[in-house]
Amino acid sequence: MSKEVQELVKRLRPSLSLGEYGKVYDDTSEFMKISYGDVIRLEGQHYLVIRDEAERSFGIEDPKYWVKRCIHLESGERKILKLVFYEKFSLKLGDIEIPCFRSPRKEARILELVRGDKRFMQGVSCLDSKGNLVRILDVVSGKRLDHFVFEIEKGHKEYFFQDLPAILENFMDSCRAIKFLHDHGEIHGDIRRDHLWREYKSGQYVWIDFDYAYEFEESPFGLDIFGLGSLLIYLAGKQIYTEANLQHIMADKQIELEENDFSLLYKNRIVNLKKLFPYIPRELNLVFMHFSQGAEVFYETVDEFLYDLEPCIELIRKKGGQP
Amino acid sequence: MNYKKILVAVDASENARRATEYVGEIVGESPGFEITLLYVVRHAERDLFPDDKSWENRKKQEKEKAKLVLSELKTLLHTYGLSEDTVSTRLIEISNFSIAQAVMDFQKSGGFGTIVVGRRGMSKAEEFLFGSISNKIVHYAKNCAVWVIE
Repeated sequence: MSKEVQELVKRLRPSLSLGEYGKVYDDTSEFMKISYGDVIRLEGQHYLVIRDEAERSFGIEDPKYWVKRCIHLESGERKILKLVFYEKFSLKLGDIEIPCFRSPRKEARILELVRGDKRFMQGVSCLDSKGNLVRILDVVSGKRLDHFVFEIEKGHKEYFFQDLPAILENFMDSCRAIKFLHDHGEIHGDIRRDHLWREYKSGQYVWIDFDYAYEFEESPFGLDIFGLGSLLIYLAGKQIYTEANLQHIMADKQIELEENDFSLLYKNRIVNLKKLFPYIPRELNLVFMHFSQGAEVFYETVDEFLYDLEPCIELIRKKGGQP
Repeated sequence: MNYKKILVAVDASENARRATEYVGEIVGESPGFEITLLYVVRHAERDLFPDDKSWENRKKQEKEKAKLVLSELKTLLHTYGLSEDTVSTRLIEISNFSIAQAVMDFQKSGGFGTIVVGRRGMSKAEEFLFGSISNKIVHYAKNCAVWVIE
């Protein structure tokens, strides 16, 4: 079998040199066995596996054995193959645990829905020889938006008035992309900081990874909207603020915080950023406070959220003296 | 609007049982009341299942459970003196849709003057993420009284 892969690589990608030549897989059911040097064959196309994808959290690499970083031998393009892995697990948001499912079917459906829409990762899906629904994804050439923002080498005030308005305009477009999903009866399902990327070349913000599915709830969009709120607060603050890191960042300031200043879900995160940065317009801070422990009214739709957020961009520009 | 025509929205929860008991206590053997126990089954999404067979099985189980609950709650109302012809049951199946909306649509089409619904204690965070059926009914129901039983 190794010879088969060797010949494939030689024929389709002669410039590639591999340390090992593995097997050709038409059936991806046993994805743990598929690794570096193997080839996955789907509908006559060949994908050379380079490695398993991994998620980094708290400095630890968590390998995702069902997600393979590949080279499409026919075109030479980098691709990500997501193989079928049915998993039920608990998504932990603060103190709340939500039963969550990985659904290849949902992700394939959304890929179809958003084809050509630059606000989402792009890809196609197809069945392997055993009927497993494999998603073949384009690699987003960019950086996580939160990392991009964090690394802007400016103090908060400069960043807030000079950079944030443009970032918020792009972010609003990302929110409208989520509204587009909702309007079509879909949810993203996993709106976190590491799932919104910024492309290097175009600066376009791109949503990735939408295979999480849930039991229906009375407010189907609540989870997505909370994710958008948390992202907004991060972008406005340029980072997360907690009581712990505040002692280092603003050691010289005396800031009195109360329970209602913290996130409704992540009890240690400060959302009342105006207490930290008094120049934040009240209107924008009110949007943040919808996600605080003191909130009495919640956003039920992305439209409601955007309605409040949109005028804030102009307010920041005016306060910052920009035209 | 006939306030004696009462729609009790139920499910398999203890709150629904309490709401039904409350209606039994209030109405008892009084004349002129008409009670409908409504169970809206919101089926799990197809996406959560690896194949159609397991999804269909789950839907079947949910429906059977709802039928059983309706039958038990109807019997419960009889113990408060409500006669057989005063209490009816109804099961509605929906998918990817609001239970509160289904209850309000049924209230409107059936001309019910009162909706009764149980409420479980929800934290603010849960209400944000998942939404509350009873809150939605309180906010949006029209031309009827709403009793929320906690």
